[in-house]
Amino acid sequence: MEKLTSPYKWGMVIDLDRCTGCGACVVACQAENNVGICDKKEISEGRGMHWLRIERYWVGEYPDVRVRFLPVMCQHCQDAPCEPVCPVYASYHNPDGLNGQVYNRCVGTRYCGNNCPYAVRVFNFYQHEWPKPLDSQLSPDITVRSRGVMEKCTFCIQRIRRAKEEAKEEGRQVRDGEVQPACAQTCPSEAMVFGNLADPRSRVSILSRSPRRFQLLEHLGTHPSVFYLKGGGREHV
Amino acid sequence: MKRRTFLQLSGMTAASALLAGCQSKNEKLIPYLIPPDEGVTPGKATYYASSCTACPAGCGIVVRVSEGRAKKIEGNPGHPVNRGRLCARGQAIVQELYHPDRVAQPLKRVGPRGSGGFQKITWAEALGLLTANLKELQRNGPDRLAMMTPQLSGSLSALVDRFMRSYGSPHHLSYELLAPDWLRRATRTSFGQPGLPYYDLAETRYLLSFGADFVESHLSPVQYGNAFGRMRQERDTVRGHFTYVGGRMSLTAASADRWMPVRPGSEGALALGMVRLILAEARYDKAALAAHNLKAELLLDHLKGFDLAKVADLAGLSKESVAEVAREFATTRPSLAMAGEGLAFQTNGRESVRAVHLLNLVTGNLNRSGGVYPAGASDGPEHSFAELPALVEKMRTGGIKLALIKGDLRHSIPPATGFQEALDKVPFIVSFSTLLDDTALHADLILPDHAALESWGDVIPRGGLRQTVYGLIQPVVTPLHDTRQFGDVLLAAASELGGAVSEVLPWKSCRELVRETAGRRLATARGGDFETLWVELLRRGGGFDTGTGPGTTYRWVAAAKLPTPDLPAFAGDEVQFPLHLQLFSSTAFHDGRGAPLPWLQQLPDPMSTVVWDSWIEINPKTAASLGISQGDLVEVTSPRSTLRLPAVLYPGIRPDLVAIPLGQGHKGAGRYAKDRGVNPLELLVLPEGSEQAWNATRVRVTRISGKGDLVTAGHPQGSYRSDLIGI
Repeated sequence: MEKLTSPYKWGMVIDLDRCTGCGACVVACQAENNVGICDKKEISEGRGMHWLRIERYWVGEYPDVRVRFLPVMCQHCQDAPCEPVCPVYASYHNPDGLNGQVYNRCVGTRYCGNNCPYAVRVFNFYQHEWPKPLDSQLSPDITVRSRGVMEKCTFCIQRIRRAKEEAKEEGRQVRDGEVQPACAQTCPSEAMVFGNLADPRSRVSILSRSPRRFQLLEHLGTHPSVFYLKGGGREHV
Repeated sequence: MKRRTFLQLSGMTAASALLAGCQSKNEKLIPYLIPPDEGVTPGKATYYASSCTACPAGCGIVVRVSEGRAKKIEGNPGHPVNRGRLCARGQAIVQELYHPDRVAQPLKRVGPRGSGGFQKITWAEALGLLTANLKELQRNGPDRLAMMTPQLSGSLSALVDRFMRSYGSPHHLSYELLAPDWLRRATRTSFGQPGLPYYDLAETRYLLSFGADFVESHLSPVQYGNAFGRMRQERDTVRGHFTYVGGRMSLTAASADRWMPVRPGSEGALALGMVRLILAEARYDKAALAAHNLKAELLLDHLKGFDLAKVADLAGLSKESVAEVAREFATTRPSLAMAGEGLAFQTNGRESVRAVHLLNLVTGNLNRSGGVYPAGASDGPEHSFAELPALVEKMRTGGIKLALIKGDLRHSIPPATGFQEALDKVPFIVSFSTLLDDTALHADLILPDHAALESWGDVIPRGGLRQTVYGLIQPVVTPLHDTRQFGDVLLAAASELGGAVSEVLPWKSCRELVRETAGRRLATARGGDFETLWVELLRRGGGFDTGTGPGTTYRWVAAAKLPTPDLPAFAGDEVQFPLHLQLFSSTAFHDGRGAPLPWLQQLPDPMSTVVWDSWIEINPKTAASLGISQGDLVEVTSPRSTLRLPAVLYPGIRPDLVAIPLGQGHKGAGRYAKDRGVNPLELLVLPEGSEQAWNATRVRVTRISGKGDLVTAGHPQGSYRSDLIGI
């Protein structure tokens, strides 16, 4: 049996000083991962399906007001609150440090979503439609989730798999920058950097040691794999 | 070349392999037993390089195609404009291809216009109808043909020009709501050439944007979004500073270090006030003034009306903040100032833009690294907005008998111009829309165009870079429906017309034309076998290293008047209509062409987090005084019209300003856009003599009810709990 250790520990750094909040990552994620199209009613019920959202914070009052953007996706916690509560082991931790979700195990208890402090798990409350020929766009690499299934950001695991297989064929490890999720690939301002945190020389590792770094809700002890870099120097509020 | 050799050449699995033609009928059944001769290997994706058509920035894209279907679009890493990056709109154009409501074959109107009754006809019939009309008109007055398109570039632009000229009609309107005609004209007045600016954002240390929203729409959003990231964090010791001047905190302004909420229309005066301060305090660049043949004393004399106190008062800002920004701008070099739509769409827009030119000039930021250069080959229409009223008048008086329309002009031209009513007087209207949009619904004949991902074409990216960039558009999938490319239809019509028209348009298809254009533009520079070059161009998505053209510096025209922005004029009485109205281009819809795509409708607006709707942004204090709360239904009244839409309390907007996003309010354009939100262009009144004055209307806002049906995706706690996460 293969040992459950891995030379990889995938992680991401998001530089908030670069992030402009433009939303390219949000659409890229939806396009890559067959995320359902939600109508207005669904979103009004708080049942929108984005795996990646951009939080917008207003700080201060006019005229000394400013905005902060915060892209939030699954933080792939090393001590993930969503994992131990799943009665059917649909939510699990894989050897690469990813927080996985097995769709065909999921029975829809929503315990995991309830236990996630980042509110990044989304539940298929409805059956989503892709009226023909819109379904032609659906990616063949990922299942289309049906109603009653919890889903979430996977760091585009299909891309990671592909890169690992290619690397294995060539008898090497995945190179730094060789694989990136859809959001990081499209990000116009290059605010998102993805890579192997287990390699201290990877770009993501170097950036994750920046003095500007912080993590979301650090005090909860979830040990996320996503690091944020504070926006710097915005002195005029 | 044979397909087999061709494929061997380009390599099936290469990251940007390509398949010529794409004409095979492989969409019905995938022949698993046949070797991947036709470019289909189950489970194996192919990548094609092309160009994005979602806006005129012309970013390079790479489309992942699997089993003959387009799956995912990425930025082309080899393309110098977007460097492998892509915006939300670019990501979504695959939905334009697979939109469920596309017009699948030519349609002929039955029943009254606008009723939406259409009958399916064949292409033979449709082309027969078109050419019969063209032929008849050619006999008795060819100048009664009107062509209306977006601002085209590359070979399609040449094709349409030739078609119209040889046919004998001068009426070609190149209209885009947000086209940078204002910038080209201002640049011509100041520098004697219309070259759009290329801002060296990545290398600058101080960015001062006067209403230029380069993150969402200004010139080349992905390019400047990328450069912005590099300006902030790519240099070891320098973090570029960003100040934004504008009455509404746009998405771009949200990334600024300092926001200066200036009174609408006073931006030009503010820029001149800064110039005056810089000159008076001798912080200007003497060499630059000398190089442009300007004298500080003369400038100061000209600007004596723009002293700090007066300018600050006009702009509604404190003297200290104006002086501080001016000093920072002058002393932190290289710095650069951008002029954008926010100030240009006022009645004094052109002079305000020129004031910003002067600001860049006196600080020595023209033609230098970290400053402003003219972009390569970025000329284009400068007078399309002056041509519009002339064409409207012509249509109104029955001078136009046949209109060929590409694009949804009924939606994107403000009704105040009288365009819609005048168009109704045209006896025969042909639309090339892919969806039954507002224009197509009022057309007599619809000749559906291919989606961009099924078409051949080329594009010269607007704004671009210092060098000329030539991007190619190639089909990545077999056409889905019985549609034909706009250019191909024109070529077919030309060959039917015969005579002079067919002589100047000898090509059989757009593919042939594009191939020839690419050859003319690029082959001579390189030499060698063109076939090899052509394959290479398609593999890479265009030619990107064509060197810098002539005229690559800005030089102040000696005879040019110094900029003198008048006080802005606004339509509507100040007492009756107390609020200024600003229309802005949202990150999702641009000028409205993103609205039919569900991903973009569902994308929460980054600032208001509204989905699937229009909204009006009001300062919370103003809203409180009007008794309006978040999500209320309000009525917006301008001197021209009235609209109802939900209100969003928006802390980042001046109390005397309200703002509505462009792009919604379609009467057609498919199930996702139809009857959704409002089209704020209906409110506009265009002051006498103004052209692109989209922001020169006053309105009043009244509360109607608490049921605005506003849906925001924002987390309920999102607005005030940033302390929790420590940013």
